[in-house]
Amino acid sequence: MTDTGETLELARCGSCQARFLPNEGSCPRCASTAIERYTVSGLGKVVAATELEFPAEGWRSPHVLALIELPDAVRLLAIVEGGVPAVGSVVSVRRDGQLYRAHAEPDGPVADERGEGESPRTG
Amino acid sequence: MSVAVVSVGLGQFGKRTEGLIDLAAEAAGRALEGIGRKPVDLLVAGTMLDHGPYGAEAFLPGLASRLGLESASGIRVDGTSATGAMAFYAAVLALESGRFDRALVVAAEKMTDRPTTVVTRELAASLHPSEVACGATMPALAALVSQRYLARYDVPSSVIDAVSVHARTMGARNPNAQFQRPVTAAEVQASRPVALPLRLLHCSAMSDGGSALVLERGTGPATVLGIGQGFDALRLVDRFDLTSFTATRLAAQRAYESAHLTRKEIEVVEVHDAFAPFALIHLEDLGLCGPGEASEWFEKGWVLPNGRVPVNPSGGLIGRGHPIAASSLAGIGEVALQLRGEAGDRSIARRPRIGLAQAVGGIASQNFVTILGRGSP
Repeated sequence: MTDTGETLELARCGSCQARFLPNEGSCPRCASTAIERYTVSGLGKVVAATELEFPAEGWRSPHVLALIELPDAVRLLAIVEGGVPAVGSVVSVRRDGQLYRAHAEPDGPVADERGEGESPRTG
Repeated sequence: MSVAVVSVGLGQFGKRTEGLIDLAAEAAGRALEGIGRKPVDLLVAGTMLDHGPYGAEAFLPGLASRLGLESASGIRVDGTSATGAMAFYAAVLALESGRFDRALVVAAEKMTDRPTTVVTRELAASLHPSEVACGATMPALAALVSQRYLARYDVPSSVIDAVSVHARTMGARNPNAQFQRPVTAAEVQASRPVALPLRLLHCSAMSDGGSALVLERGTGPATVLGIGQGFDALRLVDRFDLTSFTATRLAAQRAYESAHLTRKEIEVVEVHDAFAPFALIHLEDLGLCGPGEASEWFEKGWVLPNGRVPVNPSGGLIGRGHPIAASSLAGIGEVALQLRGEAGDRSIARRPRIGLAQAVGGIASQNFVTILGRGSP
């Protein structure tokens, strides 16, 4: 993968080592509050993506959402700019205040979207 | 101490002109009629959507007054789309404690009095705030889960079309259902996209209506044999597996254990098909088949009234319409009707001895499984 310079902050539980998207401050697996932050590249793989034909109040069409898998199998939900990305395609994700935005990474490799299982996010 | 369903009162689902308490009272009246208006000492009631200043807060005492139950005790519950099942659960616990003898459980919703965007926002209150901040709606998250499920198990869209066709075929046999006309697979496929792979006819519809049951201490054809609840991470991205609902698996495990039963003994099922692909996931999570195997149930007709285990003979959420709080109580009510031999024209081929109803709260963050059957637990 090419490095676009975008990075994202993820969280690691100091107690059970689970890796997850930063939240209100406790581990989603063991509820420990001993959370460390670490940085990864903002490149991720699209797990699923859809366009909302009926966007929520205050949002305009086209509104595309995708589940994206980051390093360490951490997932996030992002708003996608530039159309519905193919499952398995690589996107670049950046944080925008309370939410995440993603756009296609044209030179990124396309992975096989099936085959792999639902993977745990432990250290 | 055993508890049994002794009367079922299902209201008419659909676009109704009446208000919330009218709809609750309609179903409650039918359930009370079924026991000859014998006294009830506990009222458990639930609704989800916001009804403005004091509107929702007064739901419980307002309903008690309407029904002449001022001498009873009451509990109000809110379990989003699992509200009806949660109300049922609370009533079972209260009766099992020995403190009450007869409970009226009521769940109702009024949805069609407000614009779709407002309903969408109110339903999104059952999702994680960080995901709502991205503009996520219930159908959007359901679409992402569905897409993942279909891709992982290589399920063609014709299967989820068949789920909707089944729901509407069954619903057309249920006079209380919102939709009285069956649909074809071609109509499902031609319906407008909501959030692909979900099209309009893959989604349950906004609806008004109420459901009510009367429970008593004792046993009968619809004794509560087992009941269980389960949670899952509220934030979808924290879930270990997107193609199965942990909350159902936990609820099912607890229900089967408390009933001392296995899935092999279940003879009729009502699942919470808010979105067609979820019906597949639910059958798998209930252990009726293995992961990725539920398609076969719809392809081979095992879900039909004369099939291996009839699924959603009431039409389910897609056939009945989905008045949020009321749906999951209607599911339990349908199982009770089938067990009690009171399902009329939509009775399944062989009267069942044991049945199961599953309910989903939010995007499967708080689910319930209720097992009813003849005898005692």
